[in-house]
Amino acid sequence: MIRSPGTPGNSTPRRGRAKAIKWDSVCLSVLSFSSQAAPVKMGEAAGSLQDSILSHLERLEAKAHKAALERGEVRKHKEDVALMKSRIQELKRQRDELRTKLSACRSVLAGREDAPKRDSRTPQATRARQQALLEWKMEGAKGLLQVFHLTGLSGRLTKEGACLCISTAFEGTYLDTYHLDLLIQQPIRIQRHSVPSFIPLKEIAQEYLQTNIRRFLSVLSDHLNAYAGRKFQANQLQERFPAFLEGGLQGNSLYNLLEFNYGVTGEGGNFPFMAKLTYGDPVSILPTEATVVCKEDAPASSGEVAAAHSALFHKRPLPGVFSAITATTETLNHSAS
Amino acid sequence: MAKRRPRGTLGCSPPSKVFVMDETVAEFIKRTVLRIPRSETAKILTTWQFLSENQLQTLNIHQVKENVAEEVLQLCKENCATMKHAADLDIIYNYTYRDKKLWAVYQMIRGEGDENDFFDLVKFKKKFKETLQATLKNVSITFKEYEDNAIWIRVAWGTTLTKPNQYKPSYVVYHSQTPYIFMSISRRKSCMPMLCQALLVATSYRDIHEMDLRSHCLDSLKDIVFKRYSQNFQTHHPRPLQEKNSTLENVDPRIIQEDKHKKEKILKITRETFGDGPQPKLEFAEYKLETTFRSEQKGILNNKEPFRCMVKFSSPHLLEALKSLAPAGVADAPLSPLLTCITQKARNYFKIRERKGALSESLPSH
Repeated sequence: MIRSPGTPGNSTPRRGRAKAIKWDSVCLSVLSFSSQAAPVKMGEAAGSLQDSILSHLERLEAKAHKAALERGEVRKHKEDVALMKSRIQELKRQRDELRTKLSACRSVLAGREDAPKRDSRTPQATRARQQALLEWKMEGAKGLLQVFHLTGLSGRLTKEGACLCISTAFEGTYLDTYHLDLLIQQPIRIQRHSVPSFIPLKEIAQEYLQTNIRRFLSVLSDHLNAYAGRKFQANQLQERFPAFLEGGLQGNSLYNLLEFNYGVTGEGGNFPFMAKLTYGDPVSILPTEATVVCKEDAPASSGEVAAAHSALFHKRPLPGVFSAITATTETLNHSAS
Repeated sequence: MAKRRPRGTLGCSPPSKVFVMDETVAEFIKRTVLRIPRSETAKILTTWQFLSENQLQTLNIHQVKENVAEEVLQLCKENCATMKHAADLDIIYNYTYRDKKLWAVYQMIRGEGDENDFFDLVKFKKKFKETLQATLKNVSITFKEYEDNAIWIRVAWGTTLTKPNQYKPSYVVYHSQTPYIFMSISRRKSCMPMLCQALLVATSYRDIHEMDLRSHCLDSLKDIVFKRYSQNFQTHHPRPLQEKNSTLENVDPRIIQEDKHKKEKILKITRETFGDGPQPKLEFAEYKLETTFRSEQKGILNNKEPFRCMVKFSSPHLLEALKSLAPAGVADAPLSPLLTCITQKARNYFKIRERKGALSESLPSH
């Protein structure tokens, strides 16, 4: 039953119509005209007055309610705006902070260069130069490491110690490499290794490892190189001069005792010589003892030949001996024919 | 070179110029030939070098094996085969099929000041034979040398009353100038001390003990003990990249590997632990635990007594299987050091006791 207040001429409301049935319609119409002023009239118009007051009060109440709502909305709106503003302030502040940080970092990076004019250089050029510098340094380091590797002894620091690498070679051919993992503590220990078991590693370590590492490494390197050299000689002999050997080479694991039967002519069947080479020195690639014996059914002149061969074995490595033998045989044949 | 006739087998046959092959020898050769698979018969007989080329060519391998054996026997009779030749054939057969036996590794300890630089094969054989025959008369010993400096020794055992039993010999493989002996495991434990004694005398070592390393693959045992397997040492010279790095993986751009970093890390750790190359072939690893049972709920078991149990890992190729555990996601990398130390410690029998400050592993008493 709320009537909009701004309609004074609306004098024929539905409610009024209902009342007009019961009371004097003149009173009502008068009252409806004076609804804004709302004078209090007693008497027979009291009931209708009460009604109109009530309606008026209702209208006023409605108006007040609406006004309150609107005020509330406005207030809320203001609060929201204030909140948004504060948020914007906060974000702006953060942005400024990050900006300053970024510029500080950039300036630090740029400040690492020695050049005075930092601002004129682009970041890409800086990075490219740094890259090139690093690569050059790495190449240099790699070359140095390669040089060390070629010397036969190289190493690398590990977490607990060092890993040493001994490379063996014989007359220009690189052979196997052996590794040692050392723990650097007191006392220095070998953690693991790939040295074969017939090299007397334990004895060498006992003697030299604690006192003089350099000597230990050089002795071990000598042993390994000599072993690899002897093994290589034996294999080369079997590969390059198979026709001269009767059967195979009889040796041992350390290749320091070799026995074989051989002949001087390439054609098969004639192997009059029996050689026994003893390599007494574990670090040498040449035998300390070389005995060449002729078989019983060999001609008499073979004795001298055997002695000559024996001398040869002392002087040269095995493949060299046999190439010398073949060379002399050829010259003999040539001179004979 | 007729073999000493056994008592009573051939009665009183006159000392004849006709060679009559000993029945035991004949039977042994026949059985050995029957064991050889048909495809390898020609090869093994050629390696034997007892039958000549012509004889081998007359042999018809493509018949029933019984007949082949008979023919071989006939040829052997013509060539006057003795037990020595038969034993030689047996060694060749067992060398070719060495992976059928279970091998154990023994380590010898050198006496002080005994640097025996020159290993003389002849002396070794002589000393070995003498020592063994001094304790036991009825043994037959055969030697054979192979290219990798391996000496194969075959010993057939008999007692004071019986002849050597050729069907259950022991095999010993020795590499000169190394302290390691590889023995085939046979049921006969009583012969072990004599064999060990003979070996020690022949090689001039002081003591011998078993190394708790057993496998069927003899070559792998040699690799482990001679350190020929690929250990991963840190060097400045990386080995050439393996093939697998450069193979094209199926490059489907729609497939993204979420845990690519994690996988790479696991691969790196696995590589560091196991090395790059192929692993030696072991079939099992046995761990005897004597530790107290630990659980989160106290009081499940009385914690004072050790909880004895045995854990055995077996696989056709154990180390490759362990290597692939972490990359397959089955286990965390790095693996437990008990598993990864197998090759380095050269053992696959472990006994784990209670931690008294450090986990103690000791030799189990066999």
